[in-house]
Amino acid sequence: MNRSLRLIAALGMLALPAAAQAQSITGSIAASADIATVFSFGVPSALNFGSITPNTAANASGYIPLSRNVGVIYSLPDGASTGQLTGPGGTITPSYTCGVGSTNAAITSAFSSCAATGNVLTLGTPTGLVNEFVIFNGSLTAAQTNTAPGTYSGTIRVTATPN
Amino acid sequence: MTSRTGLAPLFALLLASWAMPAGAQTTKSVSIIPVQSLSFGLLLPGHRESVRTSDVSRRAVVALAGDDPVDVTLVLPTAMETPTGERIRLSFSAGDAALLTTSGSTISTLDPLQVNRVQFGNDRTVLFVLGGTAVTAATTRPGHYTARVALLVNRPGT
Repeated sequence: MNRSLRLIAALGMLALPAAAQAQSITGSIAASADIATVFSFGVPSALNFGSITPNTAANASGYIPLSRNVGVIYSLPDGASTGQLTGPGGTITPSYTCGVGSTNAAITSAFSSCAATGNVLTLGTPTGLVNEFVIFNGSLTAAQTNTAPGTYSGTIRVTATPN
Repeated sequence: MTSRTGLAPLFALLLASWAMPAGAQTTKSVSIIPVQSLSFGLLLPGHRESVRTSDVSRRAVVALAGDDPVDVTLVLPTAMETPTGERIRLSFSAGDAALLTTSGSTISTLDPLQVNRVQFGNDRTVLFVLGGTAVTAATTRPGHYTARVALLVNRPGT
C-alpha cells in the first residue's frame, strides 16, 4: 500500500507542473528586409572641346558616374563610330583614352578599346556601394581641326550591364 | 480492505488536480495569432530605416486573445540575416511597440525591451504591434534578410 501511495503521490506532483506550463505560451514574428541592387548612371559631364582655333590641337574630357553594388560589364554599342564628330567639314574621329576611375579626374581601369564593339571592361562585385566614373579623354590633332568652321558633335554611348 | 479505503481520497485528490489544469486551459486560455510580419521592404545600402508602430503596412501585428492579464516578453534579434550569414543590424527602443484595440485605436505605447502587462478588454482580444529600426551599411550586400522575434506570454505569477 505504501508503494501505491507513493506512486499516486508522484503522479499528483507531475500533474501540477503541467498545469503551470499551460499558463505560458510562445509565438514568433517574422522580420524581413530586402537590400536593393544599386546600378544606375548619374548625370554625365559632356566632353566638350570648346571653341578651337583651326590648325591647333585640342583636348577635352567627359565622364558619366555609375553607382553600383554589383559587378559590371562595360561595352560600347557603337563600336568604331563611338565619339565620332560630324559637322560641316565631314566626320572627325578624335583619339580617345577611356576607362573607369574612382574619381572623374583619372582612369584607373582602362577599357581594352575605345572604339570596339563587345565587352571592353569587366569589374567584379565591390565590397559595398561604389560610385565610379566612366571617363573619356579625347584629343584632336592640329590637322583634324584644320577643317570647315562650324559645330561638330557626336555621342559616346556606353552600356553597363550588371554582372 | 483498509488500504483500499485509504486510497479513495487520494484518487479523488489526484483527479481534482487533473481537473484544475483542464479548466484553466478551456476558460482561461491565451492565444497568440500572428497577423502581419515586420517588413522593412526594399532598403538601400548605407541607410537607416525605421518602421513605426503607426505604419500599418510594415509594422508587425500579433493578435492576443484571452481573459486574464498576461505578461508579454519579447526576445528581440540584433540582426536580420541572409542564408549565407550577411547581416543587417536591428535595434528596438521604447515606443517601438504598442497595444491596439481590434478596431485600431491605441491602448498604450510599450517598451519592447521590457516585460509588458497586457489587460484584455470586453472583446477579449488586443493587437500587439511592433516596429523597429534596421541599419544597413554601405557594404551590405543585395539580398533577402530575415529574423524572428519570439513572443513569450505568461500569466502573472506563473
